[in-house]
Amino acid sequence: MSDQVIEKRIRWAGLLVCLGLGVQLMTLMWVHPLAFMTFLTIGCPLTVAGVLLYLYSLVARP
Amino acid sequence: MNILFPAVAILLAIIIAFRSGITRVAGGKILAFLALFVLPVIAVAVGFSGQMERATSTQFCLSCHVMEDYGKSLYVDDKGYLPAAHFQNNRIPRDHACYTCHTDYTMFGGVKSKWRGLHHVYVQYLGKIPKPADIKLYEPFNNRECLHCHEGSRSFEESSHHQKTPDMRQNIESSALSCTSSNCHDTVHDVGTLTDVKFWKGH
Repeated sequence: MSDQVIEKRIRWAGLLVCLGLGVQLMTLMWVHPLAFMTFLTIGCPLTVAGVLLYLYSLVARP
Repeated sequence: MNILFPAVAILLAIIIAFRSGITRVAGGKILAFLALFVLPVIAVAVGFSGQMERATSTQFCLSCHVMEDYGKSLYVDDKGYLPAAHFQNNRIPRDHACYTCHTDYTMFGGVKSKWRGLHHVYVQYLGKIPKPADIKLYEPFNNRECLHCHEGSRSFEESSHHQKTPDMRQNIESSALSCTSSNCHDTVHDVGTLTDVKFWKGH
C-alpha cells in the first residue's frame, strides 16, 4: 500500500516536471516577452512543483 | 544546451511517470533522482539563464509594437542620429543594440535593467501603452554608459571636440556635461521625425 502511494506521488511529480519542462522548451523557441513571462509564471512553477512533490514523496510517511 | 537539458529531463521524467514501479529497485531510485531532481533543477537554471540572455536581444526589445519606431530609427541614413550611427557601424552588437546602450554599467545595473524590463512587460500587457514619441527615459542618459566603451578609445581621446575647454573632459567624465543633451550628440532616436528621413537599406 505504501509503495503505491509513493509511486502515485512520483508519477504526478514526473507529469508535473514533464509539463513544466515542456512549457520551458516551447518558450525557448520564441523570442518574445510573452515567452519570458510564460517561462516565469507557468514553466518554472510547474517544474519546481514536480521537484518538490518528488522530494516530498521521499520523506513523507504514507 | 538550452534545449538539451529539458529534452533529456522530459524523456526520463516520462519514463518515471509511466513506469513508476521501477523506483522500487536501486537503479530506478537513482534514475528517478536524476530525472525528477538533478536534471530539472539544471534545466530550469539553464533555461532561466537563456531567457535572461534572450531578454537582452534587439529582437526581444522590438517585439513590442510600441518599440517598432525605435527599431526603425536604427536604420536612419544620417550619421547625426546617434543610435543609427552606432548600430550601422557596428559600434554596438546589432543583436543586443538596445541593451548595450540602455543598461546601467554599475554593479547592479543588470538587475536594475531586468526590473525595468519587467515593468515594461507589465505596461505592455496590463498598463496604458504610451505613444512612441511620448516614451521617456527614467532618468537622463548618464555619460557613464557612453564612456563604458568610448573612454580610452583613440577617436574619443584625440577628438578636439572633447577638448574645447580645459575642464571639458572632466565635465564629461563627471556627467556635468551630458553627451546627449549639450548640443553635441543630441539627435537620438527622434521617432517623431521618422516620416521625413531616408533609411539605410543595408542589413
